[in-house]
Amino acid sequence: MSTNIRPLLSALRRNPTGALLVAVQVAITLAVLVNAAWIVAQRIEKIEQPTGIDTRDTFEIDILGLSKRFEVAQAESEDLAYLRGLPGVVTATATLGTPLTLNGGDTDLARSPGTDAPSLPANFLEVGDQGLRALEVPLVAGRNFRAGEIRPAGKHTPISEVIITRSLARALFAHGNALGQAVYEDNNDPLTIIGITRDFMGPQLGAPAYNTVLLPEMPGEGGFYGLLVRARPGMRATVLREAKEHIGASHRHAVIAETMTLTSAKRQFEANNRNMAIFLTSVTALMVAVCCLGIFGLTTFNVSSRTRQIGTRRALGARKRDVVRHFMLENSLILAAGALPGAVLALAVGNWLTARYGLPRLDLAYLAGGIVVLWGTGLLAAWQPARRAAGIPPSVATRTI
Amino acid sequence: MLRMQDISKIYRTDLIETHALRDFSLRVGQGEFVAVSGPSGSGKTTFLTIAGLLENFDTGTYELDGRDVSRLTDDGRSRIRNEKIGFIFQGFNLIPDLDLFDNVDVPLRYRRMKADERRKRIESALDLVGLASRMKHLPSQLSGGQQQRVAIARAIAGDPALILADEPTGNLDSLMARQIMDLLEKINDMGTTIVLVTHDPELARRAQRNIHIVDGLVIDSPPYEARESQRAARAGTSPD
Ligand SMILES: Nc1ncnc2c1ncn2[C@@H]1O[C@H](COP(=O)(O)OP(=O)(O)OP(=O)(O)O)[C@@H](O)[C@H]1O
Ligand SMILES: [Mg+2]
Repeated sequence: MSTNIRPLLSALRRNPTGALLVAVQVAITLAVLVNAAWIVAQRIEKIEQPTGIDTRDTFEIDILGLSKRFEVAQAESEDLAYLRGLPGVVTATATLGTPLTLNGGDTDLARSPGTDAPSLPANFLEVGDQGLRALEVPLVAGRNFRAGEIRPAGKHTPISEVIITRSLARALFAHGNALGQAVYEDNNDPLTIIGITRDFMGPQLGAPAYNTVLLPEMPGEGGFYGLLVRARPGMRATVLREAKEHIGASHRHAVIAETMTLTSAKRQFEANNRNMAIFLTSVTALMVAVCCLGIFGLTTFNVSSRTRQIGTRRALGARKRDVVRHFMLENSLILAAGALPGAVLALAVGNWLTARYGLPRLDLAYLAGGIVVLWGTGLLAAWQPARRAAGIPPSVATRTI
Repeated sequence: MLRMQDISKIYRTDLIETHALRDFSLRVGQGEFVAVSGPSGSGKTTFLTIAGLLENFDTGTYELDGRDVSRLTDDGRSRIRNEKIGFIFQGFNLIPDLDLFDNVDVPLRYRRMKADERRKRIESALDLVGLASRMKHLPSQLSGGQQQRVAIARAIAGDPALILADEPTGNLDSLMARQIMDLLEKINDMGTTIVLVTHDPELARRAQRNIHIVDGLVIDSPPYEARESQRAARAGTSPD
């Protein structure tokens, strides 16, 4: 079997155009297939991972000021005092960013200052000292923000403390305790890690799901803030209705931009991930199908343009299965010629996704799996024309001039 | 070597049935050189195609090299073609993407022969047809006569008992045709049975026996004795 490769290769080298095109297609398809599968796996994992927060009893109300006369800081403290006074409320915090949604921000944290320092992406939430309680996220080390550490709304005093998740702490300080260490956003002042929480999902922007950082700030930039409220079990609907009515009527220069329970945020989050997974899977399946079509087309073309050659081979002693094997081997060579640069391309794309979007480093098992899948479907695509080639009668050799 | 008894072959299309061979009987002895001629459409190629196990026939019996080959599997037929028969076609039928060496190699690979044994055979076959120095050339770099010589090398490399040639000189001018004929005679002298279909009476005369096919029937097959006198005549007259 292996002895038949050399003449096949030299024949391919003399007539490379079609094979080369298909090989390029195989390479690109492999790179997309492997990385898309990897992303889909991450998305599915995100859906299956616990959110780490109380989604059942919490909701958020977003307030948007409509004019310069809107006093954000005052409105914020009025709202919080009102909410905390409601009998059905456990606690409430002002916030910028909603867990599990695209509402929020992301940043890069490094262990040393400067834009060149290696950094990790993290999604952030601005909260007050009731933030952890409202989310029902426990600390595993360190302490909560103190009231005095919270930057008031509308002020630009620097902050110097942060609380981060355990995942982020481990990613930042792989070989040691992150508590008490400083982290940096670009060239800004150091932020001391004063607390480490159990893993939970903040806003879901670019960073990995559990890379969350809490910043001690009362939001209010642009007259906008959110109110994150945790109700007593079973009370959320009642509290939400009351709060909406009261807050909606209490600010002359602001409106409620949105209210949302974290249950629906979670549902939306799952749907987004699922849709992304479905989209990527469909696009990839389409690419694999087009690649198979290329292999099918090339093989079909080769079979019909080599009818006489195949008949002659049969006349000279090739069995049907030798003819099938001939085309399988030829396509294997083309697939190999595509898989090699395709693997390199897949790794390059994977590295780029890791560097740019903080996607976990590509698991090489996915590369191996991608090659196997593409190889299998590629040979399957060549199978039908190869069978047809085997059906070419040997008498073609004497009947065609 | 070849014994056909009452072979018939009917080609059926939607509209018509063509009786390409009817009650076709022929015996070719070991080492014979037989020329087959006949008008166009008489069934010469059909006969050769059946003799070469490239196609099945409808009725009759066919023994090749002492073995009944009427009811073989497709694989079995492939094997006999590969081991016992060498084909030479009018259109040469070389594989355009393979060099001469690899072309002659094709039937040997299907026989699963060892690499050094194949090399030896390929080199000596190409040597015999005078093309050993052009092993790495492609068929398209050769003249028609040279291509046909490569095809002959391919046919003899496997050391077949029987060579079947269908108008091997049909696409060549008369000088090249004579060279091919010389080569076939040389191969026949080494003991290989040859059945040659040709239109050319001059070439046909050089065979030991002439068979005439008309309308799918052998109408003129001189007895075996005649071939001996013919061989004697050729040995006396043709200088080679
Ligand atoms: N595949 C086929 N289907 C139908 N009819 C066929 C087929 N092959 C050959 N025939 C018919 O069988 C008859 C014998 O054909 P064959 O090719 O054997 O003739 P031939 O003696 O070789 O002719 P030529 O000298 O022109 O090559 C012809 O009438 C031809 O049309
Ligand atoms: Mg013919």
